[in-house]
Formats: sequence, C-alpha cells, structure tokens
Amino acid sequence: MSGTASSVTAHTTRLSSTGWPGRVLLIVAWIIAAALAVFALMPHLVAPYDPIFLDVVDRLRAPGLSHPFGTDEGGRDILSRVIYGTRYSLGVAVAIVIVAALIGILYGAAAGMSSRRTDDLLMRIVDLFFGIPALVLALALAAAIGRGLDTVVLSLAVVWWPGYARLVRGEVLRLRERPHVEAARALGVGTWSLLFRHILPFVVQPVNVRITTDIGYALIAVTALSFLGLGAESPTPEWGLLIRDSRPYFGSAWWYLVFPGVMVMVTATVCSIIGDGLAGSEASSRGA
Amino acid sequence: MILSVRDLRIRFGHAAAAPFAVDGLDFDVSAGEIFVIIGESGSGKSLTGLSVLGLLPQGAVASGSIRFDGQELLNQPEAVLRPLRGGRIGVVYQDPLSAMNPVWPVGEQIAEVLRAHGLAGRREAARRSVELLERVHIPDAPRIALAYPHEISGGMRQRAMIAMALACGPRMLIADEPTTALDVTIKAQILELLSELRRELALTVVLITHDMGVVAELADRILVMYAGKVAELGPAAQIMNRPSHPYTQALLFSATMSEAPAKADLPAIRGTAPPIEARPAGCRFHPRCPQAAADCREAAPNLRRLGDVLLACHYPLLNGDAARPGCAP
Repeated sequence: MSGTASSVTAHTTRLSSTGWPGRVLLIVAWIIAAALAVFALMPHLVAPYDPIFLDVVDRLRAPGLSHPFGTDEGGRDILSRVIYGTRYSLGVAVAIVIVAALIGILYGAAAGMSSRRTDDLLMRIVDLFFGIPALVLALALAAAIGRGLDTVVLSLAVVWWPGYARLVRGEVLRLRERPHVEAARALGVGTWSLLFRHILPFVVQPVNVRITTDIGYALIAVTALSFLGLGAESPTPEWGLLIRDSRPYFGSAWWYLVFPGVMVMVTATVCSIIGDGLAGSEASSRGA
Repeated sequence: MILSVRDLRIRFGHAAAAPFAVDGLDFDVSAGEIFVIIGESGSGKSLTGLSVLGLLPQGAVASGSIRFDGQELLNQPEAVLRPLRGGRIGVVYQDPLSAMNPVWPVGEQIAEVLRAHGLAGRREAARRSVELLERVHIPDAPRIALAYPHEISGGMRQRAMIAMALACGPRMLIADEPTTALDVTIKAQILELLSELRRELALTVVLITHDMGVVAELADRILVMYAGKVAELGPAAQIMNRPSHPYTQALLFSATMSEAPAKADLPAIRGTAPPIEARPAGCRFHPRCPQAAADCREAAPNLRRLGDVLLACHYPLLNGDAARPGCAP
C-alpha cells in the first residue's frame, strides 16, 4: 500500500500543497467540466445555430459578431459545431473509458480473487492485450466492420481495459489482506460477498481517479483517430474530424483549425486537473 | 476432546530446508474450558490458531492433524471449512477497528454472518443482530446496530466483534489477542464477558495471547509456546503458581513486576526470541536461559510429564525454585 499511495501523493502534492492557486485551478476545472456536460447533454440550448445547416454565402467567414468562432467551407457556424461536437468527442471518450473500466473491474477482480495459477494465466492474457497497438487495431476494425464512432469505441476499449484489469487486480490483492476481509472470511462470509461488500467498495476511489484522467487521454485518442479518417464521418461535428476538414483552409481560415483544437486541449487538461484533485483527496483519505 | 491437535507443523514454502514456524505441536482442548496459548511474537501461537480454520497466510504449508469434534480440519477444501467458520467456530481478532468493515454499520456486519450461513433472511438477521448486541451487554443496542465502527468506542467494537463471532451459536471461540488493542479497564470487561459467555453458553474458548495478565484472569489450562514448540502445558493454577519451565517463570516474573510500581529495573527476559531461520541448536531457549547447562546447548529436551504438567526442559524448576544444573532428576 505504501508504495502506490506514496507515488500517488508524490504525483499530486504539486497541486494540493500549493494552496490556493491549486484550489482555484481545480474550481475552474470543475466549472469548465460542468459547462462541457451542458454542451454534451443539451447543445441545442447553448449553440446559436444548427451545426449542420449550410449557408454557402457565409463560407469561411472570420470570427465576428454573428459567428464568434467564424464559419467553415459550407458556411456552418463553428461555435455551434464545436458545442455539438462535445457530445461526440467527449461522449465517445467517456463511453470508451466506462466500457474499459467495467470490463477491467470484472476481469481484475476475478484475477485477484482466483488461485495463483488462474491469476497468472489471466494476467498473461492481459499482457497480450497490452501489446496491441491502438492504431493498427483501429485500422483493422475499420477495414473489417467499417469506419465510424462505434469502431473507435470498440478498438479503443479493447486496448484500454487491460490498464483497469491490472489496477483492480493489484488493489484486490492488496485489500484481500486487510484485517476486515480476513475477519469476514474467518466468520464464513462467501467469496462473492467478500468481493462485492468488503473489497470492491475500496476499489471505487482509485478507479475513479483513473477514469477521470483517462477520459482526457481517450479524448485525444478519439480525435486522433477521427483526424486520421478512421472515426466520425462528415458532417458529424466531431472535433477531430473538424480539424481534419480544416486542413485545406489552414492558410486562409485559422479559426477553422484553432477552435476545435482548443476544445480538445482544454477538455483534456480539465480531465487531468480533476483527476489530480481526486487523487489528492484519495491519498489523504487513505491517510497517506 | 472438542479439539485435538497432533504433530502440527507449519512452515513457509515446500523447500526441505525451510524452518518450521510451528514445529510439532500436540495438544487437546476439552469442551467448555478456556485454553490459553501464550508466547512471544514469533512463537507460532497465532499461526496455530489460524490453522484451525484454514486461514493461514499464502505460502504457509501445514502438516499433521487438527480434529474438531472428530472431524479433520487441516488442509481441507474451502467447501468443508466455510460452514465451520463462524458457524461452529467463531473467531475474534485483535484490533476490532481494522477487523470491521468501515463502510457497513455494525448491525449489518453481524447480520451478514447470519445470512452467510443461511440462518436468517434479511429482516430476521437484522433483528437478531440487535439481540446479539444486547447479549454482549451493549447498551442502546438498536442505535449501536445502525452505527458505523468508527462511531463507537474500542470496547464496544470488541463487544460487537464478539457478537459477530457468536452470531451462529458456535461451540468454540478462537480469540487471537482480543484485548491487546484495548486499555486496561476495557480489557478487564472484555475478559469478564468472555468468561461469562463460556459459563452461560458452555462455550469452549481458545485464547491466544502474549499477556500473562490475561492468563491469570481466566485460563483453565495453559500452553506455553516458545519458538514453535511446546515449552510447558498444563493446568493454569499449577503453571501460574509453580512454573516448571524457566521460560514460563521468566514470563510470569515480567508480568507480575510490570504491574507493580516502577522500582529499579524493569525485569525482562534477556535477549530476544530467536528469528525462525536462526534458531539455536539444542534447547531453543538456552541462550536466554539462566539455568542453561552444557547439554542444553546440544540436545533438544523431549516433552515429558511432571505431575499434571507436560514440559520440555532438561532442568525443570522444582517448587518454583531454580534447579541447579547437574542435580536434576
């Protein structure tokens, strides 16, 4: 325990021990996260225009009063497209991480609770999955089942769950030795109850931290795959795809490239800051 | 005999050279008695207790035989042991704060044991958990049942642990250092509770401790362990009043003196218990023994009978007096 806990603290003290600047940053991050949630869930309330409405007269217009982020080559409002894009980019990233976490928790818990031999076998399988390069898998899946956001979710979840399996297995092995688990076992509590009532409640926190941080990484992966043409298809306002579509106009219409890029960057940073904050409170609740 | 242990050996790993943490232990516990296993840390007393219910840590290998009510328990599959755990044998651990799950209320944890053994449904188990808390004299039991472990005092927590261990009406209770984490007044209350439960429920209690004070309070018979072996085994009264083994005498001496006001020196047994991989040849106690003679360094003493007492010493103390090397029987 001291090993993992101390590395977590070492990693987070930078933020939490700096006092108010760290706290302000964290508050700002939470506010942005709340705004992103609104964008993703209710974009029609926030976006000024329909994200796929074509208006050829207004094509590639620079940011101004009527179009704060400018327009694209079809005259579509980039602000609206970026807001609607939250649902696709962030939504897909969240889906990937949730799917990966669910698979990883079940798998890791199974490995942690089984006999040493089964555990070894299960973890060698995990090692195999660690060796799969996300990009190659995405290409293969895109070729096999066609490109699209569901292909992105599938291929990234496949490469993402082993991290959770390893994390959860390690936690389960550590928690199995806790006196309260030993005591419950000594009084005849069965394996399932031990796992679900005495071990997994204590796995939630580290997994939470991991999920939050991972959403940022998954977002970057999703947009990268879309940028490479393996993800969303036009005219879906997905951020990576927006960046891809903006390339021909990079010299003349900087706003087309910059605003979706900024959204990716800000969202990934927010995830990282919130993840750090959660890791800090987890470390302190562990008494580390 | 409710529990009989024969040639119990426990070591870590299968290697032929691996030393035995518990090295050939034989003892019987009769129904209804309070049997105390006493020894320093590293003597193997806790391993002995854990092995009864197959709760040894990973990597520990046990051989020999442990029979409970005629049924072999050692190295049995989980399916055999699980109904016994908490069912016919209850276990109380040292530190009730860490032995209870912090995310569930106390009553719920007692109810869980009942449910795990299929003795009660959800509602019935909740009702019984309050009764059990009352049984161990917790005031305001319905309220405490809903409290979380960190919200109640250490003494209450240990009472609640005992209630958990008693939930399914076991015949035997194994208590591993049940009072070590408690302060002195609470300790006395918990010991009083154990002795009351033994009386009223005809419970057999195996108490594992390093505290001679605990032994004096309630033991019927005592097993003194040193470095994985029996040093002395016999009726409590005789061992407390007239210890035959120099180690027992030293333990008693440190206990009586530590309760007296500080005089000159704190009496202690000189040296420390040998680590398991560096046990001396001959009698394992000889480097620390004031009576040690030449043959103590060479030959390990066999267990032999001296009155009601079984003991492993070349030069036992007679009438509590130091026998001189060379003039032993």
